[in-house]
Amino acid sequence: MKIVAVTACPTGIAHTYMAAEQLEKTAKALGHQIKVETQGAMGIENELKESEIRQAEVAIFAVDIEIEKRERFEHLRVVQVPVQEAIKNPVSVFKRIQG
Amino acid sequence: MSQVCNPVEFKFICPLPNGLHARPASQLAEFASDFACDLSLINLRTGAAANLKSTLAIISADIRSGDECSIRVAGTDETSAGAALLGYITRDLPKSDEPLVESGSERRTGPLPRALLASGIRCYFGAGVSPGIGMGTPVIVGGITLPAGLDSEVAEDAKREERRVERAMATVRERIKAMLARSVSPAEAGVLKAHLAILEDISLSDKIGELLAQGRSAGQALAESAQFFMSILQKSESSYIRDRAVDIQEICLRLLEEIYGPKFTAASVELKQPSIIVAETMAPQQLLGMDRQWLRGLVLEYAGRTSHAVILARSLGIPTVVGVKDAPVLLSGERELVVDANRGLVLPNGTAAVRRFYDGEQQAIEKRNAALTRNKFRPAVTLDGLRMEVAANVSSAEEVAAACAQGAEGIGLFRTEMLFIGHDRAPSEDEQFEIYKRAAQLADQRPVIIRTIDIGGDKPVPHLNLPAESNPFLGYRGMRIYAEHRELFRTQLRAILRASAFGKLQTMAPMVSTIEEVQWLKDQLAQSQNELTNQGISFDAAMPVGIMIEVPSVAFILDQLCAEVDFFSIGTNDLNQYFLAVDRDNAKVAALSSVRHPSFLRFLKHIVDGVHANGKWIGMCGEMAGDVRNLAILVGLGLDEISASASQVPALKDRISQLSARSCEELLARIMACTQAEQVNKLLADDHRDTSQSLLDSSLVIVESDSRSKEEAIRELIDSLFIAGRTENPDRLEDVVWAREAAYSTGLGHGFAIPHCRSDLINANSIAVLKLRRPIEWNSLDGKPVQMVVLLAVHESDANNSHMKVLAKLARKLMNEEFRDRLMKLSDSGRILSYLSRELEIPL
Repeated sequence: MKIVAVTACPTGIAHTYMAAEQLEKTAKALGHQIKVETQGAMGIENELKESEIRQAEVAIFAVDIEIEKRERFEHLRVVQVPVQEAIKNPVSVFKRIQG
Repeated sequence: MSQVCNPVEFKFICPLPNGLHARPASQLAEFASDFACDLSLINLRTGAAANLKSTLAIISADIRSGDECSIRVAGTDETSAGAALLGYITRDLPKSDEPLVESGSERRTGPLPRALLASGIRCYFGAGVSPGIGMGTPVIVGGITLPAGLDSEVAEDAKREERRVERAMATVRERIKAMLARSVSPAEAGVLKAHLAILEDISLSDKIGELLAQGRSAGQALAESAQFFMSILQKSESSYIRDRAVDIQEICLRLLEEIYGPKFTAASVELKQPSIIVAETMAPQQLLGMDRQWLRGLVLEYAGRTSHAVILARSLGIPTVVGVKDAPVLLSGERELVVDANRGLVLPNGTAAVRRFYDGEQQAIEKRNAALTRNKFRPAVTLDGLRMEVAANVSSAEEVAAACAQGAEGIGLFRTEMLFIGHDRAPSEDEQFEIYKRAAQLADQRPVIIRTIDIGGDKPVPHLNLPAESNPFLGYRGMRIYAEHRELFRTQLRAILRASAFGKLQTMAPMVSTIEEVQWLKDQLAQSQNELTNQGISFDAAMPVGIMIEVPSVAFILDQLCAEVDFFSIGTNDLNQYFLAVDRDNAKVAALSSVRHPSFLRFLKHIVDGVHANGKWIGMCGEMAGDVRNLAILVGLGLDEISASASQVPALKDRISQLSARSCEELLARIMACTQAEQVNKLLADDHRDTSQSLLDSSLVIVESDSRSKEEAIRELIDSLFIAGRTENPDRLEDVVWAREAAYSTGLGHGFAIPHCRSDLINANSIAVLKLRRPIEWNSLDGKPVQMVVLLAVHESDANNSHMKVLAKLARKLMNEEFRDRLMKLSDSGRILSYLSRELEIPL
């Protein structure tokens, strides 16, 4: 499955990146194709391109705060989870996108 | 004439929210005293009876809000008295307790460390006035303890003893009345009136009379009477009534001093183990009489920052907290106390958690001081070679040695007011000479700037009889009083001049606003010099003479002033309040008061440049100079010297050596272009960081930590940042870390936790690592305890730089099992450091 994701936590220096790492690792293990954009203290990194969002089947938001440029995802199905969930149990996050 | 006795009786319910405490009681007693008949009251809740003509008796009946009382009026004028009293109680009594205005006492601000909060220990708050931390057994000093000799004194003639008490009472009464006549604030008048009422109270004089009749001496009778009433009042549940015990003590102390003179205060306290002295107030002689080997701290209920005992405590380095309400009563039951004068609090050292916290704290402070010692005795020079003297402010000769031991390069301000305040007379020329000479000698060839007496307005001195003013800060203060009190000033000048032969003294006048004042000063100085020359007394004829810059007017006559004086020193508190027209004690306008306001900084720049253009020297001795975070401004201004409290000197010197004068000048230019104080704070905070430091160093990796809780572990990590100079404010930084912790736990699972923060309290971006001996609970994602804690701390304004990338990399790596396992297995701090530096590509 083609997936795009965004991670963002309150301080933006740790959990944002840990969640990104977990989503990337797990997607790979489950055979998904994923690109994760981080919105942390360094601003937006690994920014999702319009074409990538268009081609994706689903978006995962592992976020605890309001994200920037949310309007990009208006026409995409979004599964939103707390950052902690993506860190603690990434497999369950991917289970939720199946539905 | 005989009259049929037909007593009047009625009941009432106490309408006063704080009960019938001293002030309403004294008014009631005053009203009752106008009648000839007997007036008595019974508190129906307790059964306590009281004579309504006695304030003490009424207070002792402990009448609280809502208590039902019955009143009985019997005697010649009972009918009219009963009616009048009923009228008073229904109409006037409810209004007789207008609230006293709280004086703006200094209170500690800022968060408490979590380890202390979590201990559940009750802390008592006050103001720390002499920094440090001390622990010991509480020794309660005070009450009315008669010194040896007086307690066993035999009264030979009861009549004579009675006369001694009567005379003392009359004198003290007159003194209070005289103060009442002068006092302006209603709050102060209320207290004085309560004192007067106690003095005139028949219960007190009855008790004293009773004891004298039993053969006690005047002193014994006074002390026992005071103890008798104090013990009744101190049992009250109302703090208002307990406060009155202090009033009685105060009055009896006055009377005893009146009778016995200085002999009375000579009572000394014997210390046999590490001790914390707890007292309502303390005389300097009493403090000097104590065995300093065992004296670890001082807790005073009533004492200002500038009281003599406090000044002495500061010079002796005794941690001191003042303004702790009811300290002697509340703390008397404790086995051991901690005096934390850095935070302004006192607490029982009752639990392991408290002991562990303060052990850690003391170690951290010692290590930090050791780190600062590197540069302590070197001159402060910026990276690009600009020299800035760092001196200390003192209020007594004794403090000079302590200041030099902290690395002070001189005394930038020796306040002499303390020699005059709190005494019945001004010190003599010889007394002052000895003090200034001692200061000069202790400074050991370092310059000492002695500021001539700066009193008036806010700093009253009884023996000068200065008038009360409606606007003291714009009134008769500083050098403005010299012309009238010429003898006082002449005496001081002569003493300073004579002492100048023994070291490098300089003298400086406060509150100068015109050139005429300076010319007058110089005339006076020349006269004194002539006199001394004629008398064959030696002095330093070249002693530099300067003025304080506190009044804005002088900024516009600097060219004229530079022709007259040798140097200047900026007093920032006054200059700021006059410049911005803001009283910072007035909460409504205090927000306008800031020494960082761009307009004020432009003004300072104008002053410093103006003085330098005329080739003269300029320093700063105000509060602004004591804040490390202002240093970039001060260096940018190009001041020749800054002078702050001695304990600040090492940190100021250390920081100057990390600054570049050129970039400080550029920063100042940007700051002066700001339109808001907030932007200034932001620019300063952004500047206040050390980008040259590595994210990680060996001092930030701790293994085999004994921390037993999350609170202790976080504190230990923050302390490591403090020791390394990466933050100046561990308490506030800790609070920021906990604020993040409140969102959700940073326990990752797998035995790891990564508390973190972004804050401008961080001077250098840091990773700190703590490996625990025993796992601790962290409320982790997997519910398991934590054994390795990695603290990430970055400066608020940092984004998009290499440090942030490293932290993101570390966060990602922590999701990797192999990385975690390797890290967890390493038990040596050097190995942890090198593993992290390799994995994260951090140069060490």
